[in-house]
Amino acid sequence: MQLLDIRNLTLELETPEGIIRAVDRVNLSLKEGEIRGLVGESGSGKSLIAKAIMGVLHERWRISADRFSWCGEDLMRLPYNKQRQIISRDIAMIYQEPSRSMDPTANIGEQLTESIPTHLLDGPWWQRAYARKKRAIALLHKVGIRDHLAVWNSYPYQLSEGVCQKISIAMAIAKNPKLLIADEPTTALESTTQAQLFRLLASFNQLKGTSILLISHELETVARNTDSLSVLYCGQLVEAGDTETLLKEPLHPYTNALIKSVPEFQPELAFKQQLYALHGSIPTLQHLPIGCRLGPRCPNARKECVKTPLPERVQNHHFSCHFPLSKV
Amino acid sequence: MSQLLEVRQLSKAYHKAEGMFRSKKIQALTDISFALDSGQTLAVVGETGSGKSTLAKVLVGIEHPEQGEILFGGTPLNCRDYRKTNHLIRYIFQDAARSLSPNQKISDILHAVLRYSTVLNEEQRNEKIADTLKLLGLLNEHGNYYPHMFSGGQLQRVALARALILDPKVLILDEALTALDPSLRAQIVNLLLDLQQKTGLSYILITNQLRLVRHFADQTMVLHQGRCLDYGPTLDVFNQPTHDYSRKLMKSIQF
Repeated sequence: MQLLDIRNLTLELETPEGIIRAVDRVNLSLKEGEIRGLVGESGSGKSLIAKAIMGVLHERWRISADRFSWCGEDLMRLPYNKQRQIISRDIAMIYQEPSRSMDPTANIGEQLTESIPTHLLDGPWWQRAYARKKRAIALLHKVGIRDHLAVWNSYPYQLSEGVCQKISIAMAIAKNPKLLIADEPTTALESTTQAQLFRLLASFNQLKGTSILLISHELETVARNTDSLSVLYCGQLVEAGDTETLLKEPLHPYTNALIKSVPEFQPELAFKQQLYALHGSIPTLQHLPIGCRLGPRCPNARKECVKTPLPERVQNHHFSCHFPLSKV
Repeated sequence: MSQLLEVRQLSKAYHKAEGMFRSKKIQALTDISFALDSGQTLAVVGETGSGKSTLAKVLVGIEHPEQGEILFGGTPLNCRDYRKTNHLIRYIFQDAARSLSPNQKISDILHAVLRYSTVLNEEQRNEKIADTLKLLGLLNEHGNYYPHMFSGGQLQRVALARALILDPKVLILDEALTALDPSLRAQIVNLLLDLQQKTGLSYILITNQLRLVRHFADQTMVLHQGRCLDYGPTLDVFNQPTHDYSRKLMKSIQF
């Protein structure tokens, strides 16, 4: 069943210099139990999309979408209170930089117990506090923190980034969400802790059927842990499809460049050989090129590229490019 | 032939005050030895708190070693003599945007470096700056820009320019490639490889990204709690790690 279905999501910001369109008609859909990766470089609008789904964007942002449905209900048309109710019941997010997104003035125990919704606790009301604490400790064990006593009374600054990350996961899964959004969960972590974290996320996915939207700028980590992939460039959806086919046969030059720039995906690359790189750098939001935003950096750009390419699809593989690399 | 940079039995401890009279000793580095040839790359990997950054700081002279010696081209390097040695080993910080002064133009930043360590007059300095900017693929006009006017990849180039302007023999990259986006990272990696081939520069690459290490480094050292667990040619360390910790680390990239 389609869990999340977004069509033509556009996020705009009004500035003195004019309207900036940070996210331009992005489609995103998630099935139940699916792990989808959202890959893009900084400023490509990945976090904005996540925040738009959570409904926590600043009110200055103008959100418009043709369809924004969650479990078949169009969220955009619901009254605000109803929206908040549905989102807080079903969607949870792990924010970037866990130690900074937690409350610095409250200890871990307090923060964790606060995030457990009351309807998940059973027993009469006078036993609630006890049940709540028991459940919070169980959550800590679940995310791999064995020594819950040491963590319980600590403040976020006293803990390492890896432990903070685990706690923020515990807080996110406290309400048994249907969708978990993980925004750059691995940037602050070492490679051994990263592996642990992905195993943890994968186990939630398998045991509880939680869908996961994994946001990252590193293609190699995302590719390993996801079923399907969406690639963003400067707020435009460049390509989307199954991870495997997308990696094997990228149709968009940008995806191709991303894959080729990672030494791991290039087994025949000699030691110390030059990597494949697009020239130029990512444009700032104030100076976005018209049409296809990759245009000025694209190796096979032509005259037609000043028009925004329409999304096309081949089976389950969506792409938007006038001149795809290999037409299937 | 003597090695370009040789480090013997380097140790470093930090003393942390505990109360008024007592102090706690934290051993950051214990008996680190390695040798680096010109045109080679040494990668230092390990988790946070393993002493990677301390090693880098000792090498550039920000911190003083407690024991051991650093030989540069066969002669011992005295870190206290900063003015004489700072042009040999240069250091690039993790975040280029935060390591450049926001209210100085790029040319002022570079002039300051040259004024401090060389005896060039203004004309020669200008020439040197123009040459360095060109080497890194920047334009001469970029000298009049302020750091905030650059994008991330260009800023990293500016940081590289500041390090390379004194023609160093060794460049230390402390997580300098971690924060970059993939396409920019590929550009900078290409630039570094290119420079190494052209000028025989040596790199000490401090990073968490093992995949990059495998592509880039000739030698790899695994640090754990200030001790060197594995040290040798990169392929050997990746294929046959000797310690449990390094085995775990190498496994983590294959999952």
